[in-house]
Amino acid sequence: METDVESLRLEIKRKEEELLHLKALLDEKEQISEVHPPGDGSGDKTCEKTDPQKLTNAQIARYSRQLILPELGVQGQLCLLSSKILIVGAGGLGCPAAIYLAAAGVGTIGVVDYDEVEISNLHRQILHTESRVGVHKAQSIAMSCRNLNSDVKVVPYKIQLNSENALPIIKQYDIVLDATDNVATRYLLNDVCVLAGKPLVSGSALRFEGQLTVYNHKGGPCYRCLYPKPPPPETVTNCSDGGVLGVVPGIIGCYQALEAIKIAAKTGSTLNQRLMLFDALDCSSRVIKLRPRQVHCPVCGDSPSITHLIDYEQFCGARATDKDQEKTVLPVNSRVTAKEYQTMVSIGQQHVLLDVRLPVEMDICQLPHPAITLRRDPAAQLEKIKSSTDFSSSVVVVCRRGNDSQLAVKLLQSADPRLDIKDIRGGLHAWARDVDPHFPVY
Amino acid sequence: MANGNARNIEYITNFSVLFGQVRLLFFAKSREIVGRKEAELEVVRLTTPRDVLQTLLQEYPGLGEISDNIVLSLNEEYLEIDDQQIVLEAGDELAIIPPISGG
Repeated sequence: METDVESLRLEIKRKEEELLHLKALLDEKEQISEVHPPGDGSGDKTCEKTDPQKLTNAQIARYSRQLILPELGVQGQLCLLSSKILIVGAGGLGCPAAIYLAAAGVGTIGVVDYDEVEISNLHRQILHTESRVGVHKAQSIAMSCRNLNSDVKVVPYKIQLNSENALPIIKQYDIVLDATDNVATRYLLNDVCVLAGKPLVSGSALRFEGQLTVYNHKGGPCYRCLYPKPPPPETVTNCSDGGVLGVVPGIIGCYQALEAIKIAAKTGSTLNQRLMLFDALDCSSRVIKLRPRQVHCPVCGDSPSITHLIDYEQFCGARATDKDQEKTVLPVNSRVTAKEYQTMVSIGQQHVLLDVRLPVEMDICQLPHPAITLRRDPAAQLEKIKSSTDFSSSVVVVCRRGNDSQLAVKLLQSADPRLDIKDIRGGLHAWARDVDPHFPVY
Repeated sequence: MANGNARNIEYITNFSVLFGQVRLLFFAKSREIVGRKEAELEVVRLTTPRDVLQTLLQEYPGLGEISDNIVLSLNEEYLEIDDQQIVLEAGDELAIIPPISGG
């Protein structure tokens, strides 16, 4: 009986993999046949003029529950069916946005993402699945949308959007969704949407908070009208470091789909010149009335200085990704590798281990050697060390990835040069990789 | 409400007329820096947005590193930093809104 169950499971897994392979093959073929994917979406399209056809019986049956809404109706549905919407970012925002747009019958959905599915994505990027780990995210979303609605044409772009490729792609669409995860791409998308004259439905989420607005639409501002200067890179928190509850980008992504649907179907009012702030912990939201388009804005103003796309990584001083970069702050002789630290422990070398992670991270996992933990206040840090070490023993600092630990060493070295202090290069990730494969990685 | 110009300032003679407490609402990075969602701030009632920002930064110097990258709103309306004069009422809500870039 048990072997039957096991063999059935294996058979299902094999079939799933085969299906995945066939779908990937189909995608490849479709992409080749789509050199100029969804046609020319340029200009001031009015769907009434360009769309003389009527709904088919199958479409009437499928969309009946929204067709009977007077605010949408047949005309609104025809607008949706002929609209082309581009989603940039196939993650926590892009997944829910894409699936609702597909469900509503948006004619063409483009999805841009250079990245592949990882297991740590699945708590919020809900269209991807365990069996699609390693598959391109854009492709994965395309599969899910086609499964839901074969009426919809989905075009996956497995690329990183940049100053060279952005304009030719975006020109082919009517509406753009910013579902990205980094500052540089947000400025790029803003500028390209202004240059191409497309409304930009912008969503973002971190921890328990979300933000939503529509830029470059009906006299409202663009991103630069509100935030002319990019933030200092060290003040930007990404989801990997700050954390995010999956349902928060889920809610914001749904709102993005809603705003895009209203723009496409020309119904209701949208969040142009308004900013919605969502707080999941209080389940509260506020809508802030924004300033209008700024006549002196460098990109959407009356005499813009930005008339073509620039180098956005340079402008922001940060890479166009939310992946953590490995820092090198300390010289090699102020660092130990995970293996060297393991040796220190095994030969019983006297030392004090400082773990500089947050308490919530300490709960997830800790090194076997007892550590003292430190908060971020440097004065308190030094006092705590002085009380726990006699300065003859060495001090080893550890964190999650080996970035914060370097900063801590530097801080403590400058506070007291007598300290013999080093950090573990690569932090707990290196420990899991090089020393203990059973150590959890978060 | 910030209905500045309509007000006759000559009757402003005592403390509660001169000063008032506004409610601060911190969002995104400002919430992380300050370590709370809300606070009260004692402000001069007849003031300018720039002076309000200055008072805010004196109270929370940590906000200095993002002070060029925030939207301020007063009672859910964008606060133009270059506006000449505003009159704040006790209980007015001043929101500090840095952008979120994650997703």
